[in-house]
Amino acid sequence: MHQDEIPPGTLYLLILRTLIRGGEMHGYEIANSIQQISEDVLRVEEGSLYPALQRMLIKGWVTAKWGTTAGNRRARYYRLTAPGRKQLEAEVSQFDRVMQAITRVIQTA
Amino acid sequence: MLFRRSQFDRDLEEEMRLHRELRKQEQIERGLSPKEAHYAVQKRFGNDLVLREESRDMWGWNWLEDLVQDIRYGARMLKKNPGFTVVAVLTLALGIGANTAIFSVVNSVLLRPLPFQDPERLVDLRETEVAPGDYPLSGPDYLDWQAQNHTLEAVSLYFWRQIMSASGAGEPEPAGVVPTQANFFDVIGVRPLLGRGFAPGEDAAGKNHVAVLSYGFWQRRFGGNPQAIGKAIELNDEAYTVVGVMPRWFNFPWAPDLWTPLDMSPKNLGQRGDHSWNGVGRMRPGVRLAQARAELLTISKRLEKEYPDSNNNVHAVLIPLQETLVGDFRTPLLILLGAVTLVLLVACANVANLLLARATGRQREVALRASLGASRWRLLRQLLTESVLLALTGAALGTLGAWGCVRLLATAKTVSLPRVHPIGLDGFVLVFTVSVGILAGVLFGLAPALQVSALNLSEQLKTAAQVVLSPTRRGRLLRDALVVGQIAVTLALLVGAGLLLRSFARLRSADLGIHPHNLLTMTISLPDAKYPTLEARRQFFDQLVDRASHTPGVEAAAVSSEIPLEGGSNGYLSVDGETDPNLSNQLVGWNYITPDYFRAFGIPVLEGHAFTAEDLNRTEATASRLHDLYMAAQGSAPKIPPDLELVCVISQTTARTFWRNQDPIGRSFHWDNMRVIVVGVVSDVKEYGVRAKMMPQAYFPFTLVLSYGGYGRLTIKTRVLPTSVLGEIRRHVRGLDSGLAMFRARTMGEVIADHTQDAGVQASLLGAFAALALLLAVVGLYGVMSYLVTQRTREFGIRVALGAQQASVLVLILKQGLKLSLIGVGLGVAAAMGLTHVMSTLLYGVRPTDPPTFIAVATILTVVALAACWIPAWRATKVDPMVALRYE
Repeated sequence: MHQDEIPPGTLYLLILRTLIRGGEMHGYEIANSIQQISEDVLRVEEGSLYPALQRMLIKGWVTAKWGTTAGNRRARYYRLTAPGRKQLEAEVSQFDRVMQAITRVIQTA
Repeated sequence: MLFRRSQFDRDLEEEMRLHRELRKQEQIERGLSPKEAHYAVQKRFGNDLVLREESRDMWGWNWLEDLVQDIRYGARMLKKNPGFTVVAVLTLALGIGANTAIFSVVNSVLLRPLPFQDPERLVDLRETEVAPGDYPLSGPDYLDWQAQNHTLEAVSLYFWRQIMSASGAGEPEPAGVVPTQANFFDVIGVRPLLGRGFAPGEDAAGKNHVAVLSYGFWQRRFGGNPQAIGKAIELNDEAYTVVGVMPRWFNFPWAPDLWTPLDMSPKNLGQRGDHSWNGVGRMRPGVRLAQARAELLTISKRLEKEYPDSNNNVHAVLIPLQETLVGDFRTPLLILLGAVTLVLLVACANVANLLLARATGRQREVALRASLGASRWRLLRQLLTESVLLALTGAALGTLGAWGCVRLLATAKTVSLPRVHPIGLDGFVLVFTVSVGILAGVLFGLAPALQVSALNLSEQLKTAAQVVLSPTRRGRLLRDALVVGQIAVTLALLVGAGLLLRSFARLRSADLGIHPHNLLTMTISLPDAKYPTLEARRQFFDQLVDRASHTPGVEAAAVSSEIPLEGGSNGYLSVDGETDPNLSNQLVGWNYITPDYFRAFGIPVLEGHAFTAEDLNRTEATASRLHDLYMAAQGSAPKIPPDLELVCVISQTTARTFWRNQDPIGRSFHWDNMRVIVVGVVSDVKEYGVRAKMMPQAYFPFTLVLSYGGYGRLTIKTRVLPTSVLGEIRRHVRGLDSGLAMFRARTMGEVIADHTQDAGVQASLLGAFAALALLLAVVGLYGVMSYLVTQRTREFGIRVALGAQQASVLVLILKQGLKLSLIGVGLGVAAAMGLTHVMSTLLYGVRPTDPPTFIAVATILTVVALAACWIPAWRATKVDPMVALRYE
């Protein structure tokens, strides 16, 4: 099945939303979550997660901690912070606004 | 982040590895083979290294790390090519170092504000007179300004720098003394290092025998002893008490050794028409110069109405003090700065050409890096970093050289620069140097970097390493353009230097109206204490002239108050019986002379005669009577009886100005209420300076000036070498008065040199810079020509193989070189024509577009350029066709 690219600028939104649901997740889990919940429509080029995660660390939207996976491997786990939650709200409302606007334009004859 | 980069890298790598493995596992579970799974995951992930770098980039420290990496890489590259690096660094050191040196002078002299408190409020006070220009103040005018103005917070009066004999704490030595009003140091805004300045009231007769020492004098005479305060010192045999010492940097005005208080009594300050004083003022905070000027003009006009005889056309002039002290140096210093900037451009062009030559060799390396993923911007940045590194290394070396040169300049006696601030390199100059280095690096590095990084990857990776890749057409054009530019700039600089050199020669040989050879001159100053009367002084000087004239080897001896080039006194005369306002109250130059003055200086008497014995007798009688009258009047203007007469000799200009179509002999004019009869006319002499406009001149018998003080300049005309009679003359002086010092014994040649040395220094400096530019341009031209020959070796080989004469190859190359040179010379001439107007104030007797200079410089430069092309051309003829044809 052909997977669509995610629209530019929405990667942060997707990651934030995923984390608020899942608590603590590492990179693989985040990527899987997005893919599954979007029913395979959205496919994140997995490498591009990591620069985005770094950015979010700098901005203070997430924190990271080393832990161990179920298979006893070392992985870095990310969790949302309070500013991150705020950022999520802001991004969601912006996304809604833009989507509604686009919808209006498309639907108008 | 900066320092734990490798840790960061390892962590990220581990994180992404786990992700990939988990994904691979998932794909295998889905049914792919391990190999297929591996590739699928690789595809999904993307370039690992790039992702890691991107992640790291997010942190924003990258630029610094990149910079460090670029610098290290650049340094390695430069070390690999020591020949190139050394040449480039030396070239840049010369160019940047020269800029640093000149800029440090510009900084110290022009840019830094005066070291006084709130220096922008300080103004120099002067007055206008009927003659154009501005002049010293008259005492009563100054007092009226002081009393009546509201825009100046305070004003202070000071006299000229006088040479006095200082003794009492060691051997007698001549010392420069400036008498000032008591508030002088407060008005200027400077605190003494030790002790105090002058107290109010100390500037009155009887109270003013105190002195403030300069730092240098304190060190010299008192060994820097803090106990110097309260000690006594003798000036011209009068005792003074030391009350203070000034800081090391303070030397206003005229770098004196001591300051003493004036006698501010009206008697000492003189008449209203007597302009002998200097003044400095401090404007109130918030007052603008225009306001202060307007107010003082109003006061001046009021005084003009009140005292029409003395104050006609006399108005106050206010000039910012900084302007007075450094204004004269602005033009020459800025011209030198411009010249040295041009030299730097020439140097940069050379280094740019060197880089372009190397560019072709570096293209493989650059192509390799590009294939590994470096963006064009990244490559450009790295190449520019290398250039800037080169430039900064050159700047560092150049700064060392500049430091040495500036030290030399600052201590050189022959260079006259305002010493308000010590001249040297300070923080600001270093910042300037670094900025210039960075700019230069970008400037000369940009074009080569752009060229190198313009890539055609596959082609460049394919060609074998030994091939000298032919430069693009744009590259060739650029190199030629750079050389043409260098030659043009060099021509402009050489023309400038040539003009200054010619001016200097003209100045040195200018006709002063005298015979300047075999003349010796010195200053004699008689202390008032030892020679209190007119008679005593007259006797001394009469005897001195007599003994000097009879010394073997001496043709004539005279004493005068001024000598040519060092005049300064002037006075007003009103022609008798003239109603034309232009001929009354005119400013005329003044000189008091003994009769042999004209003979000593070789000034021809055109009409009438110099002073006869009878003239002198009458003058002596008049002088005595005048002296008595002034003593009796005690400061106010004495009543001059109508029968007092004087005689004088005038200059040609005076005769032409005042008695144009008449015989001036026997005519009279009035000076200070006295009738003066003209007995002779002499030819014009440049009394005020070589460049100064010729002013009307009048000569009076020397006795007249002795009532003001025993000061005169002894001048001797010798038959033999002037310095050989110096010993005898000294003996005569000692014989008349053993304690007397003679100051500044110089030959007339030395006097002329003193007055023209500025022009000499300017010409030398500009000449040095032009020579430097010439050297660099020649090297540049040589380099380009050599490169051209190397490029076309194969072609020349073919030509020779086909039967061309060696000479024709030579001519071919010379023609190419000549073409470049001529274009450069042409452009340079055009540029110079426009630019030399800037220096017209520095020129004397030479026009800015002086054809002989232009022609000479253009010719010399063309010949030198051809010579530079000769060796590469000659080498081209030696090309063995077999070798050349095999040369791939």
